[in-house]
Amino acid sequence: MSNKNLGHHITNYRNVFIYLLIGTALTVIASYVDFNVKDSIAGAIFVGLLIATIKGYLVAANFMHLNSEKKMIYWILMLTVFFLVLLLFIPLLWNLNSLSY
Amino acid sequence: MEIPYNVELREDTGLYNSKLGIWLFLASEIMLFGGLFSAYILLRTGAPVWPPIGEHGSIIHLLKDTIPHATFNTVILILSSVTMVMAWVALKQKNLGKYKMYLGTTIVCALIFLVVKYFEYSHKIHEGFVPAHDTYMALYFTLTGLHGLHIVGGIVVLAYLWGPGISMWNSEPERFTNRIEVAGLYWHFVDLVWIFLFPILYLLN
Repeated sequence: MSNKNLGHHITNYRNVFIYLLIGTALTVIASYVDFNVKDSIAGAIFVGLLIATIKGYLVAANFMHLNSEKKMIYWILMLTVFFLVLLLFIPLLWNLNSLSY
Repeated sequence: MEIPYNVELREDTGLYNSKLGIWLFLASEIMLFGGLFSAYILLRTGAPVWPPIGEHGSIIHLLKDTIPHATFNTVILILSSVTMVMAWVALKQKNLGKYKMYLGTTIVCALIFLVVKYFEYSHKIHEGFVPAHDTYMALYFTLTGLHGLHIVGGIVVLAYLWGPGISMWNSEPERFTNRIEVAGLYWHFVDLVWIFLFPILYLLN
């Protein structure tokens, strides 16, 4: 990696750091804003998790270099995300199961 | 016997072996925390009130008091991720002094995180909010405790790479740089988990 490339990386890391700090401030501010409809907290949860997902993407893409990785790692992660989504939907299946009684 | 593919890339994967190894490990870590996040969704959607009201009432007021501590810890972990990646850049620039400074800062940030967590735990336990108090507290201590253990594990590895492990730089500098990249991937993952724990445990209640 050339020194020019490293300089570009350093600028990028500094910018991502600033975006992450802004994201953290927004997460805290958003928790005090009332996004809720009909006593449901779903709106606040959606906004909070959306900001967290954007922050997570910034860390993974830039610090973990996932924006320019080898195919093998993308395949491993896609398989993992598939099983993770399945795992997160198990509670939903539980709720659907109780509807039939 | 020399271990192959420590520095040179394998033709089939395009990666050096420890990088493939750490990503497989991180995949298993995603499933570990994923299982606990799934438990969180199940318990939260099934509870009539969140956080549940136990023997000492609801944790909600105490949680509002701890938001500044948790926000401070979030900033500290983000800072530690930046210094971690800068330690790797310093090795690419062949600047060992800068590497030690950045990695040292990462370790200090990790220790500050644990100290803040200690005070946070003490306060909650002192007020009677122990893991057995309600399902929220059980999840809170399990998730933050497991995350804290990952921080402790990270400190041990990073302290080795800052101290005795640095001798590899003299004999195999490229292999040592790869070690830092791999340790960094683990550290950024620990930061990433906290990015999700922070809103779901402290803010969205």
